[in-house]
Formats: sequence, C-alpha cells, structure tokens
Amino acid sequence: MEDQAEIYANIVKIIRDRSAMGRLLTAEEILTELEGQGILESEGIEQKTYRETQLRSVLQENRDLRKISGPDGIAYYYSVQNLSETYAEILVWKLENPLRLIAEVVRKNSRLYPRPVSMDSFREPPFGLTGEEMAECLTIMEKQREYQDIAQTVTSIGTLFLYSTEHLDPDHAFTLAEWLDVGQVNNP
Amino acid sequence: MAKYGGWAGKVLRVDLSAGKISTEDTVEQYKDYLGGTGIGYKVIWDEVQAGTKPFDPENRIVYGVGPLAGTGVPCNGRTAITTLWPTCWPRPLVASGHMGGHFAAELKYAGYDAIIIEGKADHPVWLSVLDGKAEIKDARGLWGQGIRRTTIEINQQMGPEASVAAIGQAGENLVPMSVVINSYSHSAGGVGGVMGSKNLKAIGVRGTGSVRIAGSKEEWEKVIKLHLSLLGANNQHVVPNNPQPWAEYYDAGSRWVASAGRRWGAANPSIDTGACEPHNLNRIAYRTNNAAFFLGDKAWQYTIRGNGCTACPVRCHTMLKVPAVSAKYGIPAVGQNTCTGLLFGKSFFKSFPDGPKGQTAIEACMVGMHLADDLGVWENYGQLQRDFQALYYNGIFGRKVAEKEFKSYSWDKYEQGDPTFLFELLPKIANKEGELATALGLGTGHLLERWGIPEQEWLENHELLYWKLGHPKHHSNEDAGQCGVIINTQYNRDAQCHSHSNFTRNGLPIDVQKRLATELWGAPDAVDAVAAFTPMNTYKAKMAKWALLRKELHDCLSLCNWMGPWVASPLKERGYRGDDSIESLVYSLATGDKKSRQELDEVAERIFLLHRALTIRDMGTKDMRTRHDTIPDWVFADLKDKAAFSKGTIRMDKEDIKLAMDMYYEEMSWDKQTGSPTGETYRRLGLAYVADELTKRGLLP
Amino acid sequence: MYSSHSFSRREFLLMTGGIVIAASALEAKGAKEAPLIIMDQAEGLVIADSTKCVGCRRCELACTEFNDGKSWPTMARIKVGRNLNFGPKGLRTGQRGQGNWGNGLIIQDICNQCPHPVPCANACPNDAIVVKPPTNARVVDPNRCTGCKMCQRACPWEMMSFDSDTDKATKCFLCDGNPKCVEACPSGALSYVAWRDLTDKVPPRVVPTAVVSPEKAQTCIDCHKK
Repeated sequence: MEDQAEIYANIVKIIRDRSAMGRLLTAEEILTELEGQGILESEGIEQKTYRETQLRSVLQENRDLRKISGPDGIAYYYSVQNLSETYAEILVWKLENPLRLIAEVVRKNSRLYPRPVSMDSFREPPFGLTGEEMAECLTIMEKQREYQDIAQTVTSIGTLFLYSTEHLDPDHAFTLAEWLDVGQVNNP
Repeated sequence: MAKYGGWAGKVLRVDLSAGKISTEDTVEQYKDYLGGTGIGYKVIWDEVQAGTKPFDPENRIVYGVGPLAGTGVPCNGRTAITTLWPTCWPRPLVASGHMGGHFAAELKYAGYDAIIIEGKADHPVWLSVLDGKAEIKDARGLWGQGIRRTTIEINQQMGPEASVAAIGQAGENLVPMSVVINSYSHSAGGVGGVMGSKNLKAIGVRGTGSVRIAGSKEEWEKVIKLHLSLLGANNQHVVPNNPQPWAEYYDAGSRWVASAGRRWGAANPSIDTGACEPHNLNRIAYRTNNAAFFLGDKAWQYTIRGNGCTACPVRCHTMLKVPAVSAKYGIPAVGQNTCTGLLFGKSFFKSFPDGPKGQTAIEACMVGMHLADDLGVWENYGQLQRDFQALYYNGIFGRKVAEKEFKSYSWDKYEQGDPTFLFELLPKIANKEGELATALGLGTGHLLERWGIPEQEWLENHELLYWKLGHPKHHSNEDAGQCGVIINTQYNRDAQCHSHSNFTRNGLPIDVQKRLATELWGAPDAVDAVAAFTPMNTYKAKMAKWALLRKELHDCLSLCNWMGPWVASPLKERGYRGDDSIESLVYSLATGDKKSRQELDEVAERIFLLHRALTIRDMGTKDMRTRHDTIPDWVFADLKDKAAFSKGTIRMDKEDIKLAMDMYYEEMSWDKQTGSPTGETYRRLGLAYVADELTKRGLLP
Repeated sequence: MYSSHSFSRREFLLMTGGIVIAASALEAKGAKEAPLIIMDQAEGLVIADSTKCVGCRRCELACTEFNDGKSWPTMARIKVGRNLNFGPKGLRTGQRGQGNWGNGLIIQDICNQCPHPVPCANACPNDAIVVKPPTNARVVDPNRCTGCKMCQRACPWEMMSFDSDTDKATKCFLCDGNPKCVEACPSGALSYVAWRDLTDKVPPRVVPTAVVSPEKAQTCIDCHKK
C-alpha cells in the first residue's frame, strides 16, 4: 500500500499548483498526474475508493480546496488560494458553451455590483470568444425564453452592453454603461 | 537633535521686493498646521489683507510640503501651493494647487518644509535652494524660455539631480490659466501667473540631507509594509479591470489594468504586465497604465513604463513613445503625463477621423503635452477644452472675436480633429495673442464676464460641468450623490477631492462597499450604487466631512489624495478592508508626535476651518450657504427628465440638497442657517484668534 | 596530493583562500599588523534591470530607512537618484540621453561586491572594509573607519556612501542576504542572485584617484612575483 500521506499531500499540491496556473482539473487529471509523477504503483488505486475517500477527505481537510460541477456533471477541483471562485465559475461556464458563459457573467455582474457588461469584454481573456460566437449568442438570446432576461443597451459612442433585466432596470443599465464607457474617462 | 522627526525644521521666507531671505522654525510656528496647505492658509490669514489681488506683490505664494515628504511612506511626493487664486471669479479667494514629482522630497533633503514668497523682484529671478543655502539669482536669460529649457539650464547650474519648478511663457505673461511644473510633467494648476507677477521664473532645489524618522527602524519598516500591502492601483481602485485568476471581483472601470498579454510595448524589450496578484508588492508598478485606461488599448504598444512621484509605487504617469509624432509634428517621440494632463490635447476636439481611441487621438495627446507642459498652460480640469468646444460650436467665437482674427485660425483643421491646430492655439493662449486666446486664458468666470455671457448659461449646461466661481465640478453627484455635491460646494476652485470617489469607484460590489461604509461612517446608507441614489441621511454627511478633512490632511502631510485614504484594500483576507488610521500611524511614527486618528482628523479640521474663515473674511460675508456653497442648476435636472432618486439618473433634488447642507453644517458644528462656523467651533479647534478677528468684522453667525 | 616540497606563499594562499593577512609585511617590519587582502568572493549580488526601473527611489529609501532609521537617498547604498533625470552621462546629452528627460531608461548603480583586488578595501588605510559572512559582502567596519574617504575615491563606480551624521563610510552589505532594496522595488527590477563578476561588464562612472598603500602593494608580490 502506497504511503497514503504522500499521495494525499501530492493531491493537495497538484490541485494548488494547477490553480496557480489559472486552471481547473478533474479527478481523472489528478490521477494521471499522480501516475506521471510515479507516486502510484501500477497496481494502482481503486478508482472508486480514490474518488470517494481520498479526494473527499482531501477536500474536507483543506479548506482552500473546492469542487465545482462542470458540464455533464463532471467535477472540477481547484484551490481558492490561487484561483478565485469567480474565476473557477467563469472557467466552468466556458466549458459549457458561449451562450451560458455570456448569460451567467451578465447576470452575475448585473446582480452583484451592479453593472452591465460590454460585449467587447468577451473577446478578452479569460473569455476569448470570437466575433461569430458572440453574434450567434446574441441572436439566440433574443429568441430563447431562458435568456429573455438578457437585454442590450448601447452607449453614445456605439458600444454594446448587456445586462439582466432581473437585476437592473433599463435606465439604470443605460446610465451605468454610459458611465463605464464614456463618463469615467470624461471625469478623470 | 530636533524634538520631532518628519519635519526638516525650517521654513524659507523670501521677500523678492527687498531681495531678503530669512528662515522660520517650522515646529515653533506651524506645527499645529502640519505643513502644506496648513502653512499656506496660516500665512495668508496672518499676512495677506482681504482685498489683495493675486498679482499684487503683497500676495504670498506658499510652497508647502509635509512631515512625510521625502520619506518612504507610499504616495508622499506632493507639494501644495497656496495663494490667492487668479481664476477665482468674481473676486479672488484663497485656493491651492498641487504638484507631484520630486520637488517635495528634494526640498526636505535641502532642509526646508516650506517656501514662502512675497513681494516682487524688479527683474526676472529664480530661487536657488542648495542644501540649506538659498539665493536669489538672475533669470533674465531664462525669461521668455519654456519650462523645459529653463529646467535644463538650471540643472546645468545646480547639477543633474536638482529638482526645478518652473513657469513657462503663460506664467510670465500673467495668464491666469497657467501652471508651474517640476519633474517634466508634474504641474500645479492655476499658480503660474502668481509666480510671473513676482518675476519669479523658477525655484531650483537640491538637497543631500535626510529626514529623521522618530520611530524605530523596525516599527517603521512594519508600518510601511502594512501601508504597501493595502495599496490598490491608481485612485486606490482595489480590483482588476478584467477577470484575473486570483481576483474575486473585477470592474471594467478600474485603473488596475495589468493582465497577461498587456505589455509595456515600447520598453526595450517589451514587458508583459501579467497577473498582478495583490500580495506581490514587487508588481505594484505594473497595475496602472493611465494612458491605456484613458486612450484605449492602442496605448499599450506605445508605453515605455510608468512614472510619477518620489516614493510612490503606483506610477500613475505613463511614459509614451510614439515614433510617428517626430516626423509628423516635429516634437519629441517621448512624452509623459497622467489624467487630464495626458488628455490635454485630445480634449479640445469633438471627434477624430479614426475615433476617440485611435491613433490621431493619441497624437493629439502627445502634441498637447509637448506644448502645454512647456508653455505652462493650465486646463482647469478640462474646463478650458469644454469651454472651447462650446464657444466654437455655438458660434460664440465667431461673434465675439473680430473677423480677421477669427479667420486666422484653421477651423477646418480643428473640425477634422487635426492635432496641428494645437500649434496655433496653445502658444497664443500662453502669449495672450488676440482676443480669443486672451479671453480663454482668463479662466471661465472672467471669460464669461468679458464676453457678456451670463454665468447662468453655464450653470444650466449639462456638458460643461461648470460648478461656480469660474471652476468646474470635480467628482460630484455622478460619483457620490449628495456627498459629492456637498464636497463641491466647499472650495474656491474645483474641489480636487478624491477621498470619496476613490471609494465609490474602487470596483467592489455595492454590498461590500456598504459593509465597509458601515464601519467607516456608521451605516450602509452612507453609500449608494451609482445612478441609484437615495434620499439624504446623516451618514452621507459624515462621509462628506471625512472626505474633506482627509483631503486637507493629505495636502498638509504630503500624501496623495488621488490615492488615499486607504479604507478599502485588495485583500480578501481583510474583507477588502483597508485601514482608516494609516495616516495617523505613519504621522505618529515619523514625527514622534503621537496622534490618534481622531486627533489627527481634528488637526485637519482646524486647517480646513482656516480655509473657511479665509473665504468668509475675503468675501466679506458670513452667509456662506447662499453666497458661496452654491450648486449649479444642471445638478437638479435630467436630460430625460427622470425624477431624482429613480434608477438611472444622477439628478439631485433641491429640497433634499437643502437637507444635505443642513446635515453637513451640523456635522461640522457650523451655523445651519449661514453655513458659517461658530465662534465655539473655531475656539474648540484652536482658532480663537480667527473667531476674534471675524467677530470684529461682524462675520460670525 | 601534498608532495613533500614546501609551498610558496602564493600556493599556500591560493589553497586556503579566505582573507589573507599578508605575511611578507610581518616579516619585513616585525609585529605590526599586516594589511588585509580580501580573497573570498561574495556569495550573492544585487543585479538591476534598467528597463524596469520606474524611477520611484523606493530602493534608496528602503536602504537607509530600514537599515539606518532615516530617509536619506543620498546615502543609499544603491544609487538611482543621480541617474534619474538625465542618465549617467548627466546633462551633456540634454533631452537625447537616458532618464526621465531622455528615453526613460534609468540606470540603477549597484555595488559589484568586487572580487580581489577589491578597490575600496585596498584603498582603506585602516583595513576597515572587510568581508562579512554569510554573504561575504564587502562591508565597512565602523569601528575601524576613520572617515578619510579614500574608499570613495577608489571605487570606479562611485558606490561608496558617506554618513555625515556618524562620519563613517558605508556601503552595500547585501542586508545579510535579504536585500531591502530588492524587496522594496515595485517593478521587480532588482534581483538578488549568486555572485558573478560584473566588474568588467559595468562601465565605470569615474576614474578612481585613490592609491594602494606601499605596504599593501608589497604584499601583492607574495602571490604575484615572477
């Protein structure tokens, strides 16, 4: 039996290191990493046990380690020491599809700060969407019921912003978009 | 050994009329006023009669720094310059300008806390301050030269390390819209003409001395590191401007613009700014790039690096290299400045052929900086440019200026957004050539009067951002509702106060801001989400008082009010809390004069009160509420006629603002009806002599 | 390894390394204290990236505030202020040089922790510049320094500082392995690395005008005789 403590410590390190690189990883990837480091013998560790006991106790006993559910119910692991919950959420939404990514980011911003989000910002990292993807999403969002809350507002210099009507009213969203795009720069 | 650390110990007094130089003991005479504007207001109160005009020899100009200048406290590179203000209209009143750079530190190392200039030399002179020895020197060879040549020639005499504060042709010609500049790009607005009126071309300072720290070096190191750990980016924005792996929050409006892929493109070789995780104090200088913030992503490729004041890790000035401007305009390819200084040239133009964030806009900035920072022209927080656009496009120039002169300008170039237009306009303003340039150089108030334009037109206009007394607003209701309005009523030029807007723009979610606000000002209701303002309450008044007193405190200690106070931080483990006592911590340790946060705020209140008293005395009225603390009409209107306190408007309500002023006066323990401090308040804050004088003049409520 | 022949002084010195008290002077003059010759290399060195320097002077302030308890950039043991405006060449280049008034490049002047022969140490008539473990930085011993400033004249890079409060020379001592300047730099322009010889790679600032005393020069022959 491998040294449990050693495996355990390495799981923690692998998750933290990957988070420091700005990435999430699955249980599968952790396992591969452990094998790659030669920490697990080829007889291996029973997969079910690994997931259910090792990973779970690692998470329980290290408060910085988190689990987040991605598409198809796959679990992803990260450490809030190096990767924020906000960033992990964005990465998971990114794994799903651009539509979900845009909608959730817009909803969160509209609720939390509150503020609308410029369409252009979705080109930048970590979103990295293309023009086509964004245009397609806009079209779909206008039609599908589950995205009915996502609305558009355009500033005086023509920048498109999105916001969620569940959290921001249209006038407020417009004023905030104008403030972000034009106002703050004109009031240095 | 001096009793206190921090202060250099001497104030330099220069009488240019008599050609006499003397010194005063800082601690003996001015300790209760700390430094900076504190010394400035005290000198003006004691020595300058009501009714004196800015360009009279009897006016004083006081270059004041604080006990923290020249130390390693972050953000201490500020010099406050206090004088009677040339652009204050209809009558001049006391005000201060502020310049960063290296002048403040060098003055301390030379052995001085302040320089008081009075009188007028009978020929152009410059003041040399070299390690405690001050001399008045002949500046006839420098007169007529720009700030750049003046500086270099003085450096040739004093050595390359001397710090030189100089005026350009604008100041020489007594153009009210003029500046003094040190360290290439660091200007103090509004004071150039006062120096010019005294025939004072420049002050060169060189010091090889030290500033004593009273506290132990171990304690000092701890406190400095604490302060550093709380820093955000420029304007104390504490979240990055796009999602970063380490960040829980982000804000597209934040000046924390560093990110992987954003490079100082003109560094040799280029440098990636990367993810500036807040605990990494060796990356603070990469967080801010104001050129990129204001001019768009195109500015990254032109960025050499950040620049700024002594001891400040933030580097809010951006040094740009734009090779194209050399051939195109015959100006140096390298330029640098921040904020409105950076935008000086661009702000004149309504539009550019390639848009507001294109190449031409950047070139206009380069041309603007090159001209304005050499001629020494001031822009009054962009009011010069806003007025220019309105006066042109509304046909006022065409009507007020003689046809021949009007036609001599290349208006086609102006309308097309051609930066070469600036070569026609700016030198004319500096040299008072022609009616158009002369009027613009007077400042808004005097310009309106000269051209018979009712101030009311400016007071109603939403785009001009004019507030009162010839000056614009500076972070008012658009930033912080009633709190911002109160702040903007209090000074005799644009408020120059950022305590409140640094907080409201820090990028944290409104709930986090409200949590911090509860601790700082008593309740979450002290702050609202922008454009979702709610009716007035006492907590907003407390916040306004805090904001004003801290700004005054910073201007006396030598701390940068564009960064402080440091009440929010980027640190999640602190709940994004900063430290409201950091000023009193560093002050106490540097000087050895132990003061709690409240005690130091009381000193600030004394100094702020002196400013109030000076204003009352020189206006000859105690009715500040109706005569001074005025608010322009545009604040109470909305272009879509949305009601105040509805979502999406920054419109304020008249009755609510009356209540706001009531609550503010109450917080200050001033008379509610007149907005004038009471005798009791003056006495409580150690200004009995002020109360006595005002009593004599019938100016106590 | 060791044959039976007796070693020349030179061979002995090379094998033992370390600080050497030259023997020839003792022999020649009797029991007078002999001049110090520093042979140990420093363990580490501060190096500077001038393309990252943002001209804030926090390095200079950290050096004197955290080591000496006063804010005294003139006395700092890393020197930036003198190159801030116009670069090392000063005003001869007007606006065409380096620094804030030129192309923006700010050169940070750093002590090279010179290998043997150490100019400042060799020039000191009181052997007050010694090697201090664990970093083996070349350090002024204030108990021996008499404030004559010969070391200042000896350093080709003008890196010696003089504390006029105590009347003693002072120089970079690497803060015992954790340099304050490196910690303080907000742009990460400074690094503390393993020592390497930069003396022939960094252009000198001045022509040194100090001389090595005859006693010391005599001891050079111990190792360097024909």
